[in-house]
Amino acid sequence: MNIKAVKTEKATVLIIDGRLDSNTSGILEKEIFAVTGTGEKNLVLDFTSMDYISSAGLRVLLLAAKNMKKAGGKVVLSALCANVKEVFDIAGFTSIFTICASQEEAIQAV
Amino acid sequence: MANNLGRGGGEHLLQKMSNQEMSYCLKNNLEEIPALAEAFELFAETYKIPDRAVFQVNLSLDELLTNTISYGFPEGGEHEIVIRIALQAVTLIIEVKDDGMAFNPLETSEVDLGQELEDRPVGGLGIHLARKMMDEIEYNREENCNVLVMRKQIQDL
Repeated sequence: MNIKAVKTEKATVLIIDGRLDSNTSGILEKEIFAVTGTGEKNLVLDFTSMDYISSAGLRVLLLAAKNMKKAGGKVVLSALCANVKEVFDIAGFTSIFTICASQEEAIQAV
Repeated sequence: MANNLGRGGGEHLLQKMSNQEMSYCLKNNLEEIPALAEAFELFAETYKIPDRAVFQVNLSLDELLTNTISYGFPEGGEHEIVIRIALQAVTLIIEVKDDGMAFNPLETSEVDLGQELEDRPVGGLGIHLARKMMDEIEYNREENCNVLVMRKQIQDL
């Protein structure tokens, strides 16, 4: 998995490429920690190139959402493929996250 | 006949047991899970198993194996986990056998999905995902081994 961080005016966008699982979720956790450490309150996670997520990945997303909310910010997700969407539905995550079709819409939704 | 595939220094063993059956042996190391997923994808391609079923099986295996590897061997050391997958008519039968601590994942409590963000616990989703994605999961403790058998219909997905 690779993560590319892009700072925009309204949020920092993390573009995730590859599998988000028990091997890689720690990398995302560190990256989110690094971004929020700079005082960033809003995160957009772009899943266009993320084809797989397991509960280890969901855990990191849930933690991030809780922490950002406490800090008065938000996590918005974009571009979930069908498989990832199904995992979100079954985990009950669709109702607790703002999910947008594209990165641009997600930045607007922050 | 057995067809052994060595993988870059690792000791992975992928055997085609019969026409519609594969077995895979992995060590108690999380990093080996993606290679199992690739091996199953190859098997699935041969038998034209729909992508959605492949994803669901791989995710369920990932969740159960991550649990076993993370918590099943508190004394450490190297252990082998054996996975056998068979396609019988339109049903995939997946068996996972390990010699770790006795643990029945089906005895874990149901996750409450109705809670607000603040109240949602950050664990326990893995088994929930596997239970929802498979048609059936059965657990047995046999001698010193945990044996999980999952079933998944691949038709009309």
